[in-house]
Amino acid sequence: MANRIKEKYLARKKYFDYPMLFLVIFLILFGMVMIFSTSSYKSTITYGNPYHWLIRQAAAVVIGAVFMIAFCKIDYRVFKHLFFARGCYGLSIALLVIVLAIGAAKKGSVRWISIGGFQFQPSEFAKILLVMYLAYTLSRNAGKMRSFWDTLKVLLKCVPVIGLVAYQNLSTALVICAITGVMVFVVSPKTKELIGVALGMVGVLVAYLAFSSSYRNERLQIWLHPESHEKGLQTMQALYAIGSGGIFGKGLGQSMQKMGFVPESHNDMIFSIICEELGLFGAICLILVFMALIWRMLLIAMNAEDLFGSLIAIGFMTHIAVQVFINIAVVTNTIPPTGIPLPFISYGGSSILAIMAEMGIVLSISKRIRL
Amino acid sequence: MKTGYKKKILGITGLICLGFSVVAVRLGYVMIAQSDKYQELARDLHQREREIKAPRGNIYDRNGVKIASNKAVYSISVIYSQMTDKKKVVQVLSEELGLETEEIKGKVYKNSVREKIKSNVEKETADRIREYKLDGVKVDEDYKRVYPYDSLASKVLGFTGGDNQGIVGLEVFYDKYLKGKSGKILTLTDGKGIEIEGAYEERDEPVAGNDLYTSLDVNLQNYVTQACEKVKKEKNAKQVSMILMNPQNGEIYAMANVPEYNLNEPFKLNSRQQQADSKKQQEYLNQKWRNSCINDTYEPGSVFKIVTAAAGLESGKVKVTDHFNCPGFRIVEDRKIRCHKTTGHGSETFREGVMNSCNPVFMEVGARVGVDGMYDMFRKLGLFEKTGIDLPGEANSIMHKKKNVKAVELATMSFGQSIQITPLQLLRAASAAVNGGKLITPHFGVRTVSADGKKEKIFEYPEKKGVIQKETSETLRDLLKAVVSEGSGRNCKIEGFSIGGKTATSEKLPRGNGKYISSFLGFSKAEDPTVMGIVLIDEPEGTYYGGTIAAPVMRSVFQVALPYLGISKDYTAEKENE
Repeated sequence: MANRIKEKYLARKKYFDYPMLFLVIFLILFGMVMIFSTSSYKSTITYGNPYHWLIRQAAAVVIGAVFMIAFCKIDYRVFKHLFFARGCYGLSIALLVIVLAIGAAKKGSVRWISIGGFQFQPSEFAKILLVMYLAYTLSRNAGKMRSFWDTLKVLLKCVPVIGLVAYQNLSTALVICAITGVMVFVVSPKTKELIGVALGMVGVLVAYLAFSSSYRNERLQIWLHPESHEKGLQTMQALYAIGSGGIFGKGLGQSMQKMGFVPESHNDMIFSIICEELGLFGAICLILVFMALIWRMLLIAMNAEDLFGSLIAIGFMTHIAVQVFINIAVVTNTIPPTGIPLPFISYGGSSILAIMAEMGIVLSISKRIRL
Repeated sequence: MKTGYKKKILGITGLICLGFSVVAVRLGYVMIAQSDKYQELARDLHQREREIKAPRGNIYDRNGVKIASNKAVYSISVIYSQMTDKKKVVQVLSEELGLETEEIKGKVYKNSVREKIKSNVEKETADRIREYKLDGVKVDEDYKRVYPYDSLASKVLGFTGGDNQGIVGLEVFYDKYLKGKSGKILTLTDGKGIEIEGAYEERDEPVAGNDLYTSLDVNLQNYVTQACEKVKKEKNAKQVSMILMNPQNGEIYAMANVPEYNLNEPFKLNSRQQQADSKKQQEYLNQKWRNSCINDTYEPGSVFKIVTAAAGLESGKVKVTDHFNCPGFRIVEDRKIRCHKTTGHGSETFREGVMNSCNPVFMEVGARVGVDGMYDMFRKLGLFEKTGIDLPGEANSIMHKKKNVKAVELATMSFGQSIQITPLQLLRAASAAVNGGKLITPHFGVRTVSADGKKEKIFEYPEKKGVIQKETSETLRDLLKAVVSEGSGRNCKIEGFSIGGKTATSEKLPRGNGKYISSFLGFSKAEDPTVMGIVLIDEPEGTYYGGTIAAPVMRSVFQVALPYLGISKDYTAEKENE
């Protein structure tokens, strides 16, 4: 019996998505190169050595690698349990409530929890937890979702999480909305209705931006007139950087704008420095690498062993795609400014940790693909 | 996986591709179509232009003595964004610069790009501040104009302002030669304005200003000033002015207007003046800087008789030997115009009339020459035009309109009343009268030399020859020599030197207030004048006759100046006097 199973296992050709692994490693290393390039000048001035941010990022990457390898080794199907799904749901809400409580105690908005000197952003992990929860719930109920109400019930379950995130960070909430929307959309038979709901939400969002509080409205004004708005400086500096890159850029390390002109140059605005140093050519190459990664994840989603795996892959794919799009759109002033890091590239421990964990899970899913 | 799901996933992926395409197109637009625009804007942002000041040219006297030069000074400023230890900056700067802590605090904590704390800081202080190596404290080299002789020829030289530009005097007239061209350094700076080391630098070297060589003579100027100060004190006069010039070419050796002011502190007012409002203070300053020799006009009085005599002799209407009678007045139309000697000079020749400075004689001469003749001579001697001196703000004469000149005006004009001219205009006219008929342009500027000594520019000044005949000029020299040797200018006589001259006492307007300007114009040698001077004592107290108080001043100056200028003793003159 044991032998037969072993034989069957051996007969099946072992698959592992090496192209995806390669793309992930490339993006992480490229990100570290760019973090060094964008932060070394500021780091030298502030800390006396150019490696301050690079070292911190490298530490996060090392921890991230441990998570990635671990999740890759673990068969993702162990997560396919009601208990685990509920745990995910509960944990994400708990984390978000804790950060909210800390914020209330400190009388200000806080986005992170500090554990042993390591600042960690619950909203980044809430994305993974929600994807896992949704993947389980949706794969379980896929056959039973007939009426629009069934779909709506799933969506409503996500509202507390999205609401808690939105309370602190609207743009992250938007990303989570998109992930949720896409995952539900794939499974739900009520396609037209969902498209209607999505369009309706976009309409509400636009109306909200246009007519609501001065803070949001201000962003709209910055977007429309970055050169004259007093807070359009960041946008203009990013445009200066992108524009002065030209077709082939100034060369790696040659950016002027990173020298204190572009705020957050190693963070949310890192793409503008990539444009300046590597030019349109480099920027398009990077976008192509992201598309390649999305393509690999798409293949894994399409060929995953079960719907649970497919949905996880779709969720994480959407996560990366939406963040890449929003980040680049913001730095090029295609949409109103909002703070979203560029996956793999931007400086940020929680972000890289969460993404590497996600990649580990997707790679684990790829291992179950039967050829 | 169900096909339905796959379709939807592909749909989503399509949407993602569309989104990526949109940002890619946007990137292409920004990085190709708008690249030039943003590149230029970014360069403006990164490049800082730093000015390198050019040293201003020196001013020298005729013997190469430096009378205006530069001193390296330093300006201390703070850059807000670069300061790391503001407390220490405040403490060090207040200690080193001796300024109030509060004052420095205000500037250090003011969120501006760059705040100047103090300029004109001495080198030693600047070096000490540099030693502290404080972040955000900048010590920049600058030049300060210094005048080694303080107040010497202050109203001629003028001074410069904060940006090293000339404000008054020669400093402003020759500003374009003196100022040089400042250079600049284009450097790249980071977001805080800190220069990036090793970045590509463009540099335009500054061009130092040209040196100006003038005709002034420090020794003569010094002596003239002292003589003026002495008489000002003695006579408690409002002001004493004096010019010493070469009547052959117009080079001015000295020009003093006492009181002078300290060029190194041109804006200083006395405590009473400081109480006034700012508008009034500016008036005080303008008054203080005013060069009366060229900026102010006055009634020249009897010295002007040189012009009337020239007109009479040149037209042939008067001969030296012509006889006149002075009863002490002359009736012109319905007016009785008095001579200064109310008892009258009686019968006298023209020569004696000049020596006595007799008003009725000159009224007669004026009447003989007529308005046309007089005005023709005024024009020839340059009395309707500015002298063209190389100083700013020169005033012009105030004359009657020719058609308004009736007998009374003609008569008063003949002895220098009812017209106003500047002392320099009179000096220029007198020069032409005695130098053989050459109308020169009085000036200070002789040449400029570039800082490296390679380029020299020699200034040329217009000269008009033959404005009167040589013979007329010779006669005038002889007459004016007689004025000093035997006439009203006796107080300027110096044993062994042949000197010509003319005295004047002008009553200031309005008449009858007892205010006078006593003056004397003298030259030597009488036969071939190479130096001519005019001295004006404004509002002297007590005796106010030009012959009594102004002539001795000229005498004291000539006693030193004539040997100094190499004018030889004239033994024939001495003999004649005996």
